[in-house]
Formats: sequence, structure tokens, C-alpha cells
Amino acid sequence: MKEQVLDILVDLTGSEEVRDNLNLNLFDNGLLDSMATVQLLLELQTQLGIDVPISEFERSEWDTPNKIIAKVENN
Amino acid sequence: MNLIEEIDKWGLDDTDRVAYDYLGEKNTYGELKKYSDNLAAYISKLKIEKNAPIMIYGGQDFLMIASFLASVKSGHAYIPVDVHSPVERLNVINQIAKPAACISLADLPQENEIDVPIITLDKIKEVVKQPELENNEFNFVSGNDNFYIIFTSGTTGVPKGVQISHDNLQSFVDWMGQDFGLKKDIICISQPPYSFDLSVMDLYPTLVNGGKLAVLPKDLTTNFKELFATLPKLKANEWVSTPSFMDLCLLNPEFNQGNLPELSHFLFCGEELTVNTAKRLHERFPKARIFNTYGPTEATVAMTQVEITEQILADYARLPIGKPKEDMEVVLVDEDLNEVASTEAGEILIIGPSVSKGYINNPDKTKTAFINFKGKKAYRTGDLGQFDETGQLLYKGRIDFQIKLHGFRIELEDVDHHLDKISLVSQAVSVPKYGKDHKVQQLIAYIVANENDFDSEFKLTQAIRAELKESMMDYMMPQKFVYVDSLPLTNNGKIDRKSLMKEVNE
Repeated sequence: MKEQVLDILVDLTGSEEVRDNLNLNLFDNGLLDSMATVQLLLELQTQLGIDVPISEFERSEWDTPNKIIAKVENN
Repeated sequence: MNLIEEIDKWGLDDTDRVAYDYLGEKNTYGELKKYSDNLAAYISKLKIEKNAPIMIYGGQDFLMIASFLASVKSGHAYIPVDVHSPVERLNVINQIAKPAACISLADLPQENEIDVPIITLDKIKEVVKQPELENNEFNFVSGNDNFYIIFTSGTTGVPKGVQISHDNLQSFVDWMGQDFGLKKDIICISQPPYSFDLSVMDLYPTLVNGGKLAVLPKDLTTNFKELFATLPKLKANEWVSTPSFMDLCLLNPEFNQGNLPELSHFLFCGEELTVNTAKRLHERFPKARIFNTYGPTEATVAMTQVEITEQILADYARLPIGKPKEDMEVVLVDEDLNEVASTEAGEILIIGPSVSKGYINNPDKTKTAFINFKGKKAYRTGDLGQFDETGQLLYKGRIDFQIKLHGFRIELEDVDHHLDKISLVSQAVSVPKYGKDHKVQQLIAYIVANENDFDSEFKLTQAIRAELKESMMDYMMPQKFVYVDSLPLTNNGKIDRKSLMKEVNE
């Protein structure tokens, strides 16, 4: 699951750095913006069948690869 | 009647009527009139160049709207510049437009080179609170005078200022009042920044009709939890946005008629509305009316419309952009500007009263884009279109390298130009990646980097991004940076963007 999430993130951000630095802040570093976040949620849904309630989405809980992986694994 | 008078009328007849609602902080039509009158009187007394525009720098707030009106009341067009703009853009707009003054409702960036009188927020606050003046003698913008000037991306890194006159805007507002079945008193969401002409679609039609603007500030649209908590509180009837913003909202299953029963009209502009988005929206809001519209900034926001009914959804694989409004004409032409046969595709030429007079202080670009077609002034859109047998106009893409990304209009050459100026970049080209729905999903920068000491591509990218931020609007920033040893070339020795586009979109 972790690898699949990272694949999605690499594809969206175009950066392998997300694999090497799992605590990288994706928003502060300009790797994700709100439209890319929408894309991320859509990919998680179509590729992994994970439904993330967007109405519960708080940016601070989703701002690093580690946090995203944890969210997905606990889903 | 002059549009400004029409808005003022509400302030005279129904002073306490709410015009602007910023997350519960409300301002009335009475305040709108008083604030803009006081400010216009103040501007009129300044010894500034008559007829030159006023640059207005700020975000989404009531004083911004009051300043727009003050500007046109005192005979000056306004140039809205969003608070999130990089300083270089401010400076370039200042250089090109040579404004008479600048109203800064937010702190101007340190490195600004604005060399005209600056009216600060403190001054504005003081002026608007003064007792109302009687017998103001104003010289309202009217007829062919410029009302607003909005800057769009240009191919050489130099933005172009589209001049929209009072009568251009009047033609647009009249159409909005007639063709969409919108009632007076409507509550309309106000989401796009004022420097983006989509905002004009909510702003003036709503104010002229005495409606209420319910603001969705930018911060809110990036904080989804708060966004969805706020939407039901707005009690909005009319929705104006890009389809991209709608895609975001549709991710929430709670975004439906049951929870937002007041929403009766959805109007889209700025980029292609896909069947997928429209279908899902229709399922969520079966009773609401959905409209697709089309038009370049140069023809005042939009000038074709079609209601997306179940029939249209069943009949079209790619949604039409509609029929021109009554006073406008669309002609499709080939490269030599000859009209194409009735069912063939051609470049969309727009003729009629909502066509701009041209780009401010840019006769060359004006001459290329605004042409004489059989004795009438026509705007060359660079868009390919085709009429079907029912008279609906179909959008077929661009004839050049302009793209729309999340509703923002971007010239790829403009992005290249910014990339080329970066010290770490030897050569670069930007390439759009398309999704399944013909829409651009991502902008990718292919870069041949100069020699550098960065120990990873990531760090190099961060450095390039930081440098780009100083000159480039956020929305133009490539999402992906790909480093290569060389870029493919065409037979003429130019960078071959098309072959990269093919590769990326395979």
C-alpha cells in the first residue's frame, strides 16, 4: 500500500524526493496545491478504492508522505 | 442607463439591502454608494491624469468593490491586481498601463517600482467613514470609455491589458439578465479573484440587479473542511465557477440539492465543461439549471451559452459551448481569413458590441488580434470551432500554444520565457499533459540545466521554483520538472514542443 501511495505521489509531483524524504512538507515545498490535492484524492479512490471524505480534509493532516500513508493505511 | 447609476439606485432606494457578505460580515448597498461616492470625490480632487486608469491592488473584500466603483465614478478605468501577484507582475503592469494612481488595499511588496501616487488602505478607511458629501459632481465612465482593464498572459512574457469599455460591459450584463432565467434578489457566490475576468460574471450582473455577493475567499477554497462547512451557510442561489472548482466540490457526496436546496443556477466559464462533470452535477442537483458558457477576456467574459439539459447530455460526447448572444456574431474562418463551409471547423472570429477595443498601449498585438472583417471589427480568438447542424458551436481546441489550466489562461511561450530567464536554466520548454477529458491536467517543464552544485534534482527544482516565484503567477508554475541532457529540435532548429507533447500524452 505504501509503495502504491508513493507511486501516485511521484507521478503527481514529478519528484522522486517524496520517496526519500517521507517527512517532506508537500504544500510548503510547492509540490502539491489544492487542485493537485483533488487529483490525489481521485487517484486514491480509483487506484486503491479508498474513499476519503473531502469534507473532513484538513491540509495539516495530509502535508507529508508519511501522514498520507498513515491516513490510507487506517482507512 | 449607466451601469454605475443602476447600482447606485439600490443604494438610494433600498439603503439597507445587503450587497456583500464576507463570511457573515455584511455591507449594504447604502454603504457601497456612500463609500464609492466619498472615494470618488477624493480621487476627483487629486491632481492626477484624467482618463488614465487606476491600478487597484488587493484581495476579495468589500473595499475592493467600493474602490472599483469609486474609480469609474471619478472617470477612471480600474486595473484589478490580485494580492497574490508577484512583484514583477505589478511592475510590468505599472510600466505598460501607466496608471494615474494606485490604490493599495494590501501592503505593496517591498521591491515595487510603482512611480505614481499611492492611495493607502489607511487613507481609504478614513475617506469612506467621513460624512456623506452632497451634490457630488462626478464624471462617470460611460459609452466607449474604459471601465476595467484586465491583464492576461502574453506570449513573450509581457502581459496584455484587455480594455473593456462601459458599453462592452453593458452588453454582457444585459445578456446575463436575459438569457439565464436569473431572478433579481439573487444570492451569488463570488469565488474567483477579481483579476480573473470570470469574477465579472458574478460581480456586475449581481450588483446591477440588487443581489447579494456571498464571498468564498481563496483561503477557504484550499481548506476543504472549512469550505464545505461554509457552503450551506451562504444560502446561495447562483453558482459561478470554473469546472475545475466544481470537480473539487463534487468530491463531497454531501454537495447536493438536499443540503443546498437554494442553489438553482450553475454557470460555468473559463475552461471546458466535460460531460462527466455536468452529468454528476445534474445527478446531485436534478432541479437546478446548468449553463455552459464560452468567451475570451477580449469579448467581455463570455458570449455564447447553452443550457445543459438531459437531452444535451444524451446527444453530445463533448458538450457544445452554445449559441452566440443576440447582439454578437461568430464567424469561422481558415488561415487566410476566408469563411469556411457551414459544417467545417475554423478559427472563431467574434464580432459585436462586447468586443474590446484592444490591448492598452500595445498597438502591435492589438493589430494582430483585432482585425477588420468585411467592414466590421472582429477579434481573432485562436480557438478552433465548428457549428453542428442545430447551430450549436463546438470547441475544437487551440490553433496555437495557449492552454487553460484549472480555468487560467496560459501561453506556453510565456512560461518558456520565464523559465529561460532563470539563472540555473540553459534551455527549457513547457509541455501540457492532458487527462482523458481533453483538459490539461498538469504542466511539465523540460529543462536542460546549467552546471550546478545541487546534490539532487529535488533541490535544483526547489531553487528554480523559488526564482520563478519572483516573476511568475502561481497558476503558471509547472507542477513537474524533468531534467534532460538536450531537448528535441524541429527541422528548423526550434525546440520541438509537439514531439514532447506526443510523448507525454501517449
